[in-house]
Amino acid sequence: MKKFFNWKILFSLMLIAVAIFRPYAFFYGLQRGSLYSLIALPLALILGIVGLLNLAHGDFLTLGMYMGYVIFNQFHFDPIISMIFIGPFLFLIGFAVYKLTIERVLKSHHLNLLLITFGISITLVELVNVFWTSRPRNIYVPYATRSINILGISVGAYEFLYVVAAILILLAIMFILKKTRFGQAAFAVGQNPKGAAIVGINVKLVYTITFSLATAMTAISAALMMPRVSIFPNVGGPFTMKSFCLTAMAGLGNLPGILISGITLGIVEAIVQSIPGYSGWSDLVFFGVLILVIALRAYRRAER
Amino acid sequence: MRKVLLIIGILVFVTFLPMFADMYLIHVASSIMLFMCLALSWDMMLRTGQLSFGTAGFFGLGAYAAVIAVDDFAITPIMSIFIGAIFAAIVALGVGIAVLKLREMYFAITTLALSSVFLVLARNLSDLTGGAAGKVLFNAIFDGDPKKTYWLIMVFTLLVIGISEIFQRTRIRYAISSIRNDELVAKSSGINIFKYLLIVFIITSAIQGAAGAIYAQQYAFVEPESTFSANFLLLPIAMALVGGIHSTLGPIVGAIILGFASEYLKLLMPYGHLIIYGIIIILVIIFLRKGVYGTIVDKIRSN
Repeated sequence: MKKFFNWKILFSLMLIAVAIFRPYAFFYGLQRGSLYSLIALPLALILGIVGLLNLAHGDFLTLGMYMGYVIFNQFHFDPIISMIFIGPFLFLIGFAVYKLTIERVLKSHHLNLLLITFGISITLVELVNVFWTSRPRNIYVPYATRSINILGISVGAYEFLYVVAAILILLAIMFILKKTRFGQAAFAVGQNPKGAAIVGINVKLVYTITFSLATAMTAISAALMMPRVSIFPNVGGPFTMKSFCLTAMAGLGNLPGILISGITLGIVEAIVQSIPGYSGWSDLVFFGVLILVIALRAYRRAER
Repeated sequence: MRKVLLIIGILVFVTFLPMFADMYLIHVASSIMLFMCLALSWDMMLRTGQLSFGTAGFFGLGAYAAVIAVDDFAITPIMSIFIGAIFAAIVALGVGIAVLKLREMYFAITTLALSSVFLVLARNLSDLTGGAAGKVLFNAIFDGDPKKTYWLIMVFTLLVIGISEIFQRTRIRYAISSIRNDELVAKSSGINIFKYLLIVFIITSAIQGAAGAIYAQQYAFVEPESTFSANFLLLPIAMALVGGIHSTLGPIVGAIILGFASEYLKLLMPYGHLIIYGIIIILVIIFLRKGVYGTIVDKIRSN
């Protein structure tokens, strides 16, 4: 407990230091990091409850963004409002993908599971590529480019939505897992599927709903990202790896940890990007941390 | 006896293929054999129970090492293939010590990340690698003679098939398959798991590096996005799965089937042919667990 306390102080001290010395990196990193966490939460949920690392996670995000693009172009709905259409759409896609493919191999070897999500990922990216070509698409809404002044620094105002959304989603997931019947069942399944089946929980149903719900959840990040990024077939791909990195860093089942790791890595990335001449290296931050954290974890497990 | 005659027949046919085939067929056959090597090397790693997504990464590493060796250090093209293999092996040794303690999901995702790390390095070390624009090879192998390149690739493929057979027939096979089946049992019977995993990882990475070097010699050009392309990861995996994993003949059969199919598909649909590979991977995992070769072997045995 004492160790945890010290760690918290260290984290806050780091935040304050960055906020003073590199305010731009602080705000930009906070926003980016929240977005990373927002995308990582559903992945962590699937990994924790179904025990499946979904390599197609980022591609569901891509699919959601293209769906939003179509809605925006055809019906001129605001991207954020289009969330209520993308959500159910992704829910159905997730449901279909789960029932058609993943459920059939759930009992076989872990590597088969990993490979099948890899196959799904490739199929989704290429389908998007065939339908919409690889030309980047953009959505313009005037409010997304507004900026505000904080203590003499001008930062994008829209991106603070990521921070708000990440915190809200985290609280919502925690609430569902702790307070609702389904959430408690899902939690039990995540802990011990066999035991959960013995006490009468429908494990199959819990897996299906968890996967579909988590897929639907990417609609939120898709809708929020749309006005600020170019939409192209591989836009979501890198987020799969980043999400897994955050999950590995926080540890399985530690949902608040994902937000903290996300913000930390977001800020570190922003600092690297702010060093002139070295901005191209910021991609290595996540991979470096991924390899380091996983390796350290593995050594600790080996020692035990 | 019949088996030996069949093998000799195939060998003679493959050796004399460039004498009567046209350029297009020679090119297709060369690229199929190169992918066959990648598929075999991926399968060799899988035989230990570890799923590696690093194939494309080591492939690109070998390609870059070969081009830099020829351009910046004036090494002859043939030697540069060895340089590609050795460089990939050295990197695999360093990486392997760090990541081979990991298992399953964690190993797979870390090797997947490795490819991206190499890609970022290739893009950013622009003094050495030419950055995002890529690097052109000044002195291609055999002055770009496709027939000689074909024979080179053929010899390399035979070598890889030989290594795969050694893995299947000698003592190392027992170590590898016992690690795959139950690591705890393997450990308690005195097998140094880490040592064997490292050996297999280094050898397969060296094969991938050499394949990358040959590919770079063939096309005389490296560029981050295409050299580290997911193609070099995806196609070998699909080939090995279609043919049948955990065997030598499986990936060979798969490479021949998918190799010709992919040439045809490329002509048919230039942009979306990767969808087919994705769907093939999914379908094979769901319905054809043992692949084409594995299923045939099972049928013959049950009769």
